[in-house]
Amino acid sequence: MRLKKTFILPVLALLTTACQTGYHLTNQSYKRVQVDSLAAPADSGMARFLQPYKQQLDQTMNEVLVVSAVPLERAKPECALNNLLTDAMLQYAQQKVGVSADCSHLNYGGIRTGLPKGPIRIGSIYEVMPFDNQLVMLTLKGSMLRQFLEFFVKSEADEQSLVVGGIRVVIKDNVLTSIAFTNGKTFDPNQTYTVLMSDYIANRGGGTAFLKDAVARKDFNLTLRDVFIDYFRQLGKSGQPINPTTDGRITIQ
Amino acid sequence: MDALQSNRRQFLKLFGAAAVIGGLAPEAFAKPKSTQLTILHTNDVHSRLDPFPMDGSRNAGRGGIVRRATLIEQIRKEQPNVLLFDAGDLFQGTPYFNLYKGEPEVQAMNRMRYDASTIGNHDFDGGMENMVLQFGKAAFPFLIANYDFKNTAMNGRTEPYRIFRKDGLKIGVFGLGIKPEGLIPKELFKETVYVEPVETANAVAAVLRNEKKCDYVICLSHLGYQYNDSTVSDRVLASKTRNIDLIIGGHTHTFLDAPVNVLNQDGLPVLINQVGFAGIYLGRIDLTFEQGKAKVATDSKAVEVKS
Repeated sequence: MRLKKTFILPVLALLTTACQTGYHLTNQSYKRVQVDSLAAPADSGMARFLQPYKQQLDQTMNEVLVVSAVPLERAKPECALNNLLTDAMLQYAQQKVGVSADCSHLNYGGIRTGLPKGPIRIGSIYEVMPFDNQLVMLTLKGSMLRQFLEFFVKSEADEQSLVVGGIRVVIKDNVLTSIAFTNGKTFDPNQTYTVLMSDYIANRGGGTAFLKDAVARKDFNLTLRDVFIDYFRQLGKSGQPINPTTDGRITIQ
Repeated sequence: MDALQSNRRQFLKLFGAAAVIGGLAPEAFAKPKSTQLTILHTNDVHSRLDPFPMDGSRNAGRGGIVRRATLIEQIRKEQPNVLLFDAGDLFQGTPYFNLYKGEPEVQAMNRMRYDASTIGNHDFDGGMENMVLQFGKAAFPFLIANYDFKNTAMNGRTEPYRIFRKDGLKIGVFGLGIKPEGLIPKELFKETVYVEPVETANAVAAVLRNEKKCDYVICLSHLGYQYNDSTVSDRVLASKTRNIDLIIGGHTHTFLDAPVNVLNQDGLPVLINQVGFAGIYLGRIDLTFEQGKAKVATDSKAVEVKS
């Protein structure tokens, strides 16, 4: 009887186990499947599903906004493209949002490519601005505005990468010797000024940590790309090709 | 050797098979039922319906729904029990989203028969009303346990968790979203209330494990894999909770070569995985389960992940 006693416990354990409906993990394996033409052919049903969306998308992207008489290459320290884009921000804010900002800024690295000579399409603007950066307005004290502008002048990663609208600056030895607003305001380190910019910069991307001390911030929930598309579409309404030039807003002495 | 089998063998040897089977419940001595589950997952697909263009860039030709659909269909033909999940940020990143506001992304997921998704910060990009409209087209639930949408248009449009049954297995799945403040413009997330994810996860996972008797608990997370500071990430979540078996992550676009194990509050392993972004990869985790309770010995260390 001694034997029986010893083995009653395992028997009960087995019965209990059998009554459990639950499961436990005994093995696992993993595979990361790369999705490409080698891994799998296209699913024809899915291709048929996507086709009408794609077709209409292509049509939209092909809409010609304006024709340019010249290629608009991005360049430093000043070029017609940089000027057009920053002017577009100021004009859009004023006309569509009713906000008169003192100046505008774009991060040079965020302008991904130039615009072609000939038709400028919506797709072209997507190539210039593939990211969904948004238009933001910061209110900065004059002293911080100077620091902000000089940050891009001095930037080691991207030297002389200042892209601005609404102001004319003179740079000597990487220091701004003159800041003049085109709206007639005079620069005073103790006054405040409104600056339109990308949310990427306003969120202190690219090393502009000092912007945490901005006086105020306004978000518009509007992508820069939409601002530019609207601007170029308006330029195209005249029916004439555009032939933009630089205006000397950045002078390096 | 399995202790259960060893006990049984000794028992049979001592008492004789016939007597045992005759006198006791026969199922106790049948080979334990085992079953397979294949979990497929994506994250941060970001409206990448077409593959990346063939422009010589690193990801040229990769991704796209037409090939992902084929892969998923092939796996479904081979595996009877498949669950397909996404960890959020379905939206934003290609002009498809700008033009169609997320409709083809959701419809494509319907066609691939996704079982559930959680919500990423970019899924707010079209606004809450758009989220209602587009998520309303989904044939799968949006699971999120730590967003309180009560005072928003999304009220009643999500579930904290769902339990999936596959061949007798009970799989509990819940979702977690990232803190919207500072990441999503206020005009977009409006009155969405973000609830602390660790506590939420512990509460939901306990319900799934203890009350609902789930065999396996999965968290679809858009918290991000890892941060340099104390921000709640998937790794932090895994280490500070209990009752979670697998975290399918997103947000940080992390390309993990293989899932990572992190020990939880009970010293048990939590598997974390994330497959980059844009649908370049489809994550596949094959699990084998056996009926009955695990022995403590096997439970306390990680079941090896073979990749």
